[in-house]
Amino acid sequence: MISTKSLSRRGFLNMGAAAGASLILPKTGVIKPAYAAGPLAPVAEADAHIAFGHTGPTSDEGWTWAHDQGMKAVEAAFPALRTSYVESIPYSADATRIFRQFVADDACMVFATSNYGDFLYDVAKRAPDVAFYECDGRNPMDNLGTYYVAHWYPSYVAGIAAGAMSKTGKLGYVASFPVPSVYSGTNAFLMGARTVNPEATLQSIVINSWFDPQAATQAGVALIDAGCDVLFGIMDEAGYLQVAEERGAKAVMWNTDLRRYGPNAYISSIMVDFGPWYVEQVRRRLAGEWTPTYDLLPFGAGVDVDAWGETVPADVAAKADAVKASILDGSFNPFMGEIKDSKGTIKVAAGQTMTEEELYHWNWSIEGVSGLDS
Amino acid sequence: MSYRLQRMPVAAPSVLFAARVLSVILALLTAAVVLALSGKDPVALGGKVLSSTFGSSFGLEDLSLLFSPLLYCGLAVAVGLRIGAWNIGAEGQFNLGAFAATGVALFVPGPTWLLVPLMALTGMAGGALWILIPTLAKAYADVSELITTLLMNFVALLLVYWVATGPWLDPSGMALATTARLSVSVPYVWGIVHWGLPVALMLAIGLAVMFAYTRWGYEVRIGGGNPGAAAYAGMPVQRHVIIVMLMSGAIAGLGGMMEVAGTVGRLQGGISNNYGYLGIMVAVLARAAPLGVIATAFFMAVILNGGIVLQSQGLTTHTVLAVTGLILFYAAIADEVARYRLIPTTGKVTPKGAR
Repeated sequence: MISTKSLSRRGFLNMGAAAGASLILPKTGVIKPAYAAGPLAPVAEADAHIAFGHTGPTSDEGWTWAHDQGMKAVEAAFPALRTSYVESIPYSADATRIFRQFVADDACMVFATSNYGDFLYDVAKRAPDVAFYECDGRNPMDNLGTYYVAHWYPSYVAGIAAGAMSKTGKLGYVASFPVPSVYSGTNAFLMGARTVNPEATLQSIVINSWFDPQAATQAGVALIDAGCDVLFGIMDEAGYLQVAEERGAKAVMWNTDLRRYGPNAYISSIMVDFGPWYVEQVRRRLAGEWTPTYDLLPFGAGVDVDAWGETVPADVAAKADAVKASILDGSFNPFMGEIKDSKGTIKVAAGQTMTEEELYHWNWSIEGVSGLDS
Repeated sequence: MSYRLQRMPVAAPSVLFAARVLSVILALLTAAVVLALSGKDPVALGGKVLSSTFGSSFGLEDLSLLFSPLLYCGLAVAVGLRIGAWNIGAEGQFNLGAFAATGVALFVPGPTWLLVPLMALTGMAGGALWILIPTLAKAYADVSELITTLLMNFVALLLVYWVATGPWLDPSGMALATTARLSVSVPYVWGIVHWGLPVALMLAIGLAVMFAYTRWGYEVRIGGGNPGAAAYAGMPVQRHVIIVMLMSGAIAGLGGMMEVAGTVGRLQGGISNNYGYLGIMVAVLARAAPLGVIATAFFMAVILNGGIVLQSQGLTTHTVLAVTGLILFYAAIADEVARYRLIPTTGKVTPKGAR
């Protein structure tokens, strides 16, 4: 077990936010004590180059846009340093080439805003003086940390509204890949919906991309054709919201407020804000305090539900808001047993509560979710 | 005296070469003007591309790792073109080669010296298998391989996505949407450049020799140029089509095996990085000559690596794609233009056939 709790907590407390959870890496695989080497040497602000590698275009009005706002926050806080970014990096050896190019260009800190795995690690291994962060990462290294958002809580809250507003009880989900963030998102959303509609089910379609507006739109159409009347997903753009608007269905989005693309369909969005976190990490890097952290931005401080859409009834909004308040004040945790997987096996016994690490590494569907487990 | 344009059946090599050089210069000039108009310094950017690509071992390693898969895919398409078959499916065969080799690495225990050749063989078999149906359909039913090979690409890609996120998903939970790291890898020859590159270069030379100096190569060239004449001369055109197309698939499959076992280390969707489609351009620019493929694959690797450098200098992918497209566009025009010559026309009408 890696004792990063104090570190990342201190970071969040410094920021005046609620305490962030730190992530413990999976029990299998090689776990070594990270940052045994001590903090990286300080860098003068005028000499610093901070680089960002994105999976989509910064104009997506979603995930990449939100990270780009984070970069702008860094620029505002440290006007003398240099930033650079590359958009639409594929998950291929090209990613390695781009991250290596950042290092060759004297970057002192590199943020990969998506999980590039070995394509990033291969570069980090050969650049021990450069600080790396991988969003949604799972591999501790002396100079590589990870960061992500506890999106399962807002997904659960939005699921309550979705369950109340669905007439068919069939929810649809446009998935990128069958990865933990998709499992936790679909499961939490359906668990929320089932608190108001116990018979609700969720059908997902995997499109093998985070940013493919055409495929996401096709998936949205297919889900509505199959009877789903509320769509959710983990897309970096607004494609399926427009489908829902045209077809008279509802939709919950990710990343940003997208209601103008479908004012009648819009229920809410899982809003992210990485700005303060980015500024804090860059500050630590420049000050010579940086060691890798494994940070999960908590519900209410980095990830939240957006203000409810105009067609969400007041009583539905009030019910979901009450649950949100009880999660935030710690009096309620939605991820308590008994929870069964899609094959009917009890995975979380009655009385047990899933830990933040288990939620982060969630890799099975709950009963009622289809389309992910192979 | 006036002039008119005359189209030649083939361009003279010297004219073709000059046209190629001119096209690259023109394309770079056009790109420079576009960059200057958008407020960038084209000279500084050009210098950055050259120094980042050729000025460091990092750059040369990256270049070599791009060069290698482009060679395999370029050769795969070029070999097919020799018998008149358009293999648009190198992308799929590349994926299948990677898939088959990964299967060996994940499930067959053994030492590296045994497993790497075995993976190479299964990778080639995977690539050949993926073009088998289009090959038989072309040879026996005259079904256009353009469509069949293309469609097989999507099946291969989805197959790789499925195994990498499903049955072969890394059980450690440390990596997303990918298989476990392969236990064996292709040995390095220099830095992180593995044996895939020298093998590809040897393959290109070997193919050039086979096409130029063997009876088989001669028959394939004739069969590709004029199947009717070749058949009339008693050459087994159908058999050549089958063998050459399977070779084409096997070469692309070997490229996929080298990519997964040498460069990437894990099987995952997107591993092919469009090399299969880029290979079509490589082969066409090389006019299907194996030795020409070495030159055009290298050229393409420089362009692609330059594109990555430009992206890190704040240019968007769209600008980089546009510049890349521009260079290829000019090269294609230059090829065509090189076939024309200006000849003076006199007032006298030359009778047909007379000189």
